Amino acid sequence: MTCDEARLQIGAEPSAASPELEEHLRACAACTRFHEEMLGLDADIRRALQQPPEVAARRARRRRALWQELALAAGLVLAMAAGLSVWLLRPSDTLAHEVVVHVQGEPESWLATQHASSGEIAAALRGAGVELELTSDRITYAQSCWFRGHYVPHLVVQTTQGPATVMILRHEHVAARRSFHEDGMSGVIVPAGAGSIAILARGGGNLDAVAGQMQQDVRWLPQPR
Amino acid sequence: MAQLFESLRPDLLRFAHWLSRDRALAEDIVQESLLRAWRSRDALKEPAAARAWLLTIVRREHARLYERKRLELVPLEEVTETAAAPRVAAPDGDLLTLRHAILRLPLEYREPLVLQVLGGFSTEEIARELSLSATAVLTRLFRARNKLRAICGMTPAAEVADGGRAP
Repeated sequence: MTCDEARLQIGAEPSAASPELEEHLRACAACTRFHEEMLGLDADIRRALQQPPEVAARRARRRRALWQELALAAGLVLAMAAGLSVWLLRPSDTLAHEVVVHVQGEPESWLATQHASSGEIAAALRGAGVELELTSDRITYAQSCWFRGHYVPHLVVQTTQGPATVMILRHEHVAARRSFHEDGMSGVIVPAGAGSIAILARGGGNLDAVAGQMQQDVRWLPQPR
Repeated sequence: MAQLFESLRPDLLRFAHWLSRDRALAEDIVQESLLRAWRSRDALKEPAAARAWLLTIVRREHARLYERKRLELVPLEEVTETAAAPRVAAPDGDLLTLRHAILRLPLEYREPLVLQVLGGFSTEEIARELSLSATAVLTRLFRARNKLRAICGMTPAAEVADGGRAP
């Protein structure tokens, strides 16, 4: 096996092994180094692909054709029939932890000082099956985030005690209010409408007041996508 | 069966999203794919094979849409990942750079890479699915990683000759 052949095999399938390749690697320090680098790169590629991309494209969303709408409607039957049972069976003991980890992954969300535009809020709510009656001047951050297999609205609202994160979790069901404290953050998850709402803030603050307000302000649409 | 399909939806959506680079399009592709899968559900003999089967349907649906709507797709130069709000729990600059680089790979390289890494398909399965020779698939996978290698600051390996279409 030549170096070119070895590198083709390594580059195409870094974790694959063959007797010929192993024999070549034993005798070739340069290809061994290449192999190690490729294994590291491949682990990074795997990590990079674990989350879907958040693509910003400067173009208006295309209008859906009729056949697509029909397909969506039909697909919804599948979703309605099975989705609820699947997610009800999902263990929820890590939910609070995952909310904390998610917010820690977006530290800039609490630094925003200007209110989010109505377009940003609409984009954050898109596909989540909810509407919001909260006035936009209290919302300083609005994103649609990939969380536990779904896109969910991730908002930051300004309260008298500072910013509070609100995540509207249509697919997460909790039987009763749960509070949690982790890494200097306090939070509550409350049942709401078709799912639940998580509120998280640094330090203390009256999170239940925020939760109560959100329970009123979030309107759960009957047929989410 | 419906429950099984639905449980795989996040995987399908992520896969479609990396292929299409467009969330709305990915959602449409997955919906249409699930609809097609449901109509053909009798063809699925083993539930354990559902994931690979559905990923294949999603890939074909993407290819079908890509062919039909080629002119409506977002041009490459307009595509960038939103850096302001990275979605990974502990993002670092290198990983974000890599995600950008994967997004900007031409489809001929991105598709086999995503099929291999996310889908878990073997070279032979990818070759069959893309109507390519196994050598051509290996070449594309090599080139995909080689391009990413260069973007990540590593010295790229020497290029290899083209592989061909499957006979």
